[in-house]
Amino acid sequence: MIRISKRRGQDIAYGAIGIAAFLGLWEYIGVNQLAGLTWPPLTAVLAFLFDPSRQTLFVRATSASFSMVGAGYVAGGVLGIVLAAVAHLVSPLKEGLGRLSSVIHSIPSIALAPLFIVLLSKEWSGMAIATLNVYFILFIATQSGLAAATRAHHDVFTVLGSNRFTRLIRLEAPAALPAIVSGLKYAVPAAFIGAIIGEWFGATRGLGLLMVSAMQNFQIPLLWSAVLITSAGSLMSFGLMSLVERFVYARYR
Amino acid sequence: MSGGTSILLDHVGKDFEMDDGRKVVAVEDVRLEIGAGEFVALIGPSGCGKSTLLRMLAALEQPSRGRVTVDGEAPEELSRNHRLGVAFQDHALLPWLSVEANVELPFRIASRAVDHARIAELIALVGLKGFEKARPSQLSGGMRQRVSIARALVLRPDVLLLDEPFGALDAVTRRQMNLELQRIWQEQHISTLLVTHSVDEALFLSDRVVVMSGRPGNILKEVSVPFGRPRDPEVMRSGEFHRLEDELTEALEQPGVAA
Amino acid sequence: MPGILKTAFNRYWGVLLILVLWQAWVTIGELNAIVMPQPADVVVDLVGNPGIYLKNGVQTLALAGGGLLLGMAFGSLIAIACWFSRLATGMLVPLAMIFSSVPVVALIPVVARLLGYDIKTVMAIVVIVSFFPAFVFTSAGMRALPPGSEDLFQVLGASRKSRFRHLVLPAAVPNWMIALRLAAPSAVLSAMLAEFLMGQSGLGYMFRAAAGDFATERAFGTSVIATAVSVITFTLSQRAERAVNERWR
Ligand SMILES: Nc1ncnc2c1ncn2[C@@H]1O[C@H](COP(=O)(O)OP(=O)(O)O)[C@@H](O)[C@H]1O
Ligand SMILES: [Mg+2]
Repeated sequence: MIRISKRRGQDIAYGAIGIAAFLGLWEYIGVNQLAGLTWPPLTAVLAFLFDPSRQTLFVRATSASFSMVGAGYVAGGVLGIVLAAVAHLVSPLKEGLGRLSSVIHSIPSIALAPLFIVLLSKEWSGMAIATLNVYFILFIATQSGLAAATRAHHDVFTVLGSNRFTRLIRLEAPAALPAIVSGLKYAVPAAFIGAIIGEWFGATRGLGLLMVSAMQNFQIPLLWSAVLITSAGSLMSFGLMSLVERFVYARYR
Repeated sequence: MSGGTSILLDHVGKDFEMDDGRKVVAVEDVRLEIGAGEFVALIGPSGCGKSTLLRMLAALEQPSRGRVTVDGEAPEELSRNHRLGVAFQDHALLPWLSVEANVELPFRIASRAVDHARIAELIALVGLKGFEKARPSQLSGGMRQRVSIARALVLRPDVLLLDEPFGALDAVTRRQMNLELQRIWQEQHISTLLVTHSVDEALFLSDRVVVMSGRPGNILKEVSVPFGRPRDPEVMRSGEFHRLEDELTEALEQPGVAA
Repeated sequence: MPGILKTAFNRYWGVLLILVLWQAWVTIGELNAIVMPQPADVVVDLVGNPGIYLKNGVQTLALAGGGLLLGMAFGSLIAIACWFSRLATGMLVPLAMIFSSVPVVALIPVVARLLGYDIKTVMAIVVIVSFFPAFVFTSAGMRALPPGSEDLFQVLGASRKSRFRHLVLPAAVPNWMIALRLAAPSAVLSAMLAEFLMGQSGLGYMFRAAAGDFATERAFGTSVIATAVSVITFTLSQRAERAVNERWR
């Protein structure tokens, strides 16, 4: 049985009140049209969203977008972790990889739009931007994680005559794990942002496209539904990664 | 100052509840009196409840049993009237303030005019002249402890609580700080409780040494220190000093009432 | 000076590699100029039309910077107001954390529809995007106090007001700077995205207009300016954070 302290219980209760108040306010504003016709009540959006006749539309758009998010997340994550490890192990490459990463990071994703439109098929730009966003977060997280092992721990390995590989596997990698997992958590919304932006540059499917066309055509419930699906997907993945993070922190820190 | 402040811990005890719901008895039943202007040293194995006792005196913890009074009043009155000086075990300096500004802080909190001469004097006294503008992160552990002692003294408190204040100092600096502390204390006769690990520090500085037993914390032994004041470091070479030192060390080595 | 060259190469070989790959792709793939402009053409467009680039660049920078500061101010003021009420904090912090874990740029179309296609809407979007990090980090900073400091203030008999002024507020400063550094790039990005989706001017709009006209030099020129604007904001916020941290920790 999990014991919950009084303070913690209070926090949970207050948080629940806050979320309920937010949802209630959303509904209230919508029902009374306080923000005009473009703010629908929550219940109206949910009814629209779960209407069986629109199921195929939403399932198609969601699977298109979420697969871009997933593919970009995995590709960016692997690239970031591997390249940070390479930079860590091969010191001549370190400087250059770091600079390249920060140059990539300082280019706003929208500035890559012309490039993607030219080079890639428009369908892939969502994944490509998601990959870049995730890559940078994971590169930085892994890099600082690999430097997290203390001097004293390194001295222990040196004194024991450890080779480079053993040091990486037994000391640096476990010490880096918390930072990497935190990076993976913060990369979740970044991946979603990347995919959505990519779709805005002219994809033919996906939630991002749905948002833009609904915005332009005054399809208010459709617009809010697309935003709601995207947010829910990001929130749930983020929550999942927070659980993983808590486990890793308890075990490796 | 009207004859100083006296403190009474009247059969005080403290329990802590752990996360898993178990109860830990940190202090079982302690009766301790600190007379007006008296210097009492508290020694005991680590984890025996010394800090807990001191925190109850500072009204940072409420006792589970018994009562703490300061001149017959609740101990909260002391801090409310800015009459309490505490040097914590972990220095508790504010990282964004310079040494000088950290020592100045009690004036600001008490909304009193800052006495710059007093601050300069105390900084010099704890041997940190020239470091006024340094930040805590630029100082060694021992230097930070000295800043926190200066901060504890700056308002000329009526009660001074010191929790292992010289723990991070080397032997020479420690001896020097002991001498300075004695000097300041003699000028003002502050009622003082000093928690320490060092038997000879306790003997050199205090009027009375109290030995606590291991968990749960109780008082094992009290020893009055017979040396007159001001005390010269020479006193530490006397036979009487060594006899008391042996007596206290022996008391410390007794196995506590094992839990 | 081979020394400098060597250092430069060590630092920038990665960037160089990307440029070489790009060139190789263009050459081998025989992409024509309409699709892929020569770097020289981009420079010509940049130098030939400084007015257009400058006007739109300044507009975007001003919208992003103004919105950023306004959003940061709102976020921290509300966090400060919440410090005085546990209920308000308890209610707002989880909500703000939810909002920071969803892609806030997805709100751009919603806000655009709510407030209308307008330059003020662009500003409003930047304010919203900057609000959440400011609120979350300031709230957290006001609760992450240095070890022992709360005991110290109690022992010194500090009033609530002086606790706030001497302890809580300064303790939040480093976190506030983190929020600024994190919010700056997303402020610039969301300003451009808002202009892209619904604006009539600004760098974001230039992307859309150039794409519509198949003016690829203009599109790539805009990319250069957009990157410059982003780098400026980014560097400034990073510098500010570093300067404050030096003084604060
Ligand atoms: N806030 C607390 N919560 C739970 N247990 C505590 C707390 N403070 C102290 N203790 C426990 O009380 C005992 C006495 O601690 P302390 O007074 O710090 O000892 P000392 O200062 O003599 O080393 C220890 O066993 C410690 O673990
Ligand atoms: Mg202690």
